[in-house]
Amino acid sequence: MPTKRKNLHYEFLAKKWTDRHRNLQGKIFDKHGESFKWLADNSKQFVVGSLAGIMLLTSPVLDKVPQFVSSTSAQIKTIDKKVFLIYDLRKILPNEVRALNSDEEKNVSEILTRDYGFNIKAELEGKRLNTTYGIIGQEQHLARFPGDNIFSHFDNPSEADKYWSYGMAPGLGAWRYFADSSGSSTQEDIDREKYYIAVQTFLAPGFDSNPKEYADFFKYRKMLVVNPQNGNAVVADIADAGPSPWTGKQLGGSPEVMSYLERFDGAQKGAVLYFFIDDPNDTIPLGPVNL
Amino acid sequence: MKNKFFYSHLIETTDISLKLTEINLSDDEKTHLLSLMEANIHSTVIDTVLSELSKEDKKIFLQNLVLNDHEKIWQHLSGRIGKLEDKIRKATENLKEDLIKDLLEAKELSEKNNSKVDL
Repeated sequence: MPTKRKNLHYEFLAKKWTDRHRNLQGKIFDKHGESFKWLADNSKQFVVGSLAGIMLLTSPVLDKVPQFVSSTSAQIKTIDKKVFLIYDLRKILPNEVRALNSDEEKNVSEILTRDYGFNIKAELEGKRLNTTYGIIGQEQHLARFPGDNIFSHFDNPSEADKYWSYGMAPGLGAWRYFADSSGSSTQEDIDREKYYIAVQTFLAPGFDSNPKEYADFFKYRKMLVVNPQNGNAVVADIADAGPSPWTGKQLGGSPEVMSYLERFDGAQKGAVLYFFIDDPNDTIPLGPVNL
Repeated sequence: MKNKFFYSHLIETTDISLKLTEINLSDDEKTHLLSLMEANIHSTVIDTVLSELSKEDKKIFLQNLVLNDHEKIWQHLSGRIGKLEDKIRKATENLKEDLIKDLLEAKELSEKNNSKVDL
């Protein structure tokens, strides 16, 4: 996409033709979506040039036109199923960000279960959050153990470069430290902080009647967090409570979670889906997931 | 050299390309708009073809399409869709008319806003 000077007529045409293309793709999906789904499910290998051509048809949210015209690579790839996920979710999700009704939640959880292969639920063990679709805000890093600080927090310089600027939260997470000391900190503790989310546990239906039971249930509970606009998803854990209702946000994500989801705070803030993962044997690792 | 797409020989886009070159655009902008034009044409053709096929034939067509095997595509489509070439031409001509209208509108907009560029 050109980034330097933009003429009025260029901007006008680029928008008009991009919108026209999106409308065409939407129309194609509406009329022939089943055939594309079949193709994605049954064909595993395509050359990139041709795949890119298909992607043009199958991605109603493409902002850039792939360089399919000049592609000569013979590299083998599988079809990116994200486009189907995005499309399927788009058909269900309301235009405004609000709590989903039971039908919408059921449909979304079925789609997420189908695409990610996890058992995804809006309600688990009779407990649910106040919503499964909300605006996500940016959180800071949490101290994992006594003495953990911004200088000791990162595994390597590249992570430090990327996430240092978000800083450490002044307080601890909802369940205080993840480990008693640096020496006793495990990979699980590290991942729990790295991929944490803060959710409004205090607004969960039934929370007030039995806070202890609810707190135990929510503690490090795994959730699948999905950006419905790009299909990026992270298996996250609940490690903090918040944000306050007056913020207009429904949950918060660690710097790593926000980065993988490509979600931002402030004027660019956006919504995510967050559903419980039923993982009784603790076999699903935390972190980004691919389709 | 092999055409880019199975329908490339049916579609003439020189008129649009020429109109674009008359507008003061950077190379990047021109390339982007040409890509968008091609993407619109591509989607239009695919929709035209799929709309004429049965459920099973759609699958075969899409498989052939991703392989970009022009011969196979035409072998499969001939006999299944009558006057396919005419249908593709007609659909893309309609699209091209719309794209040219957009170009003229862009020119008007630019003049209205006293753009410094020459159209």
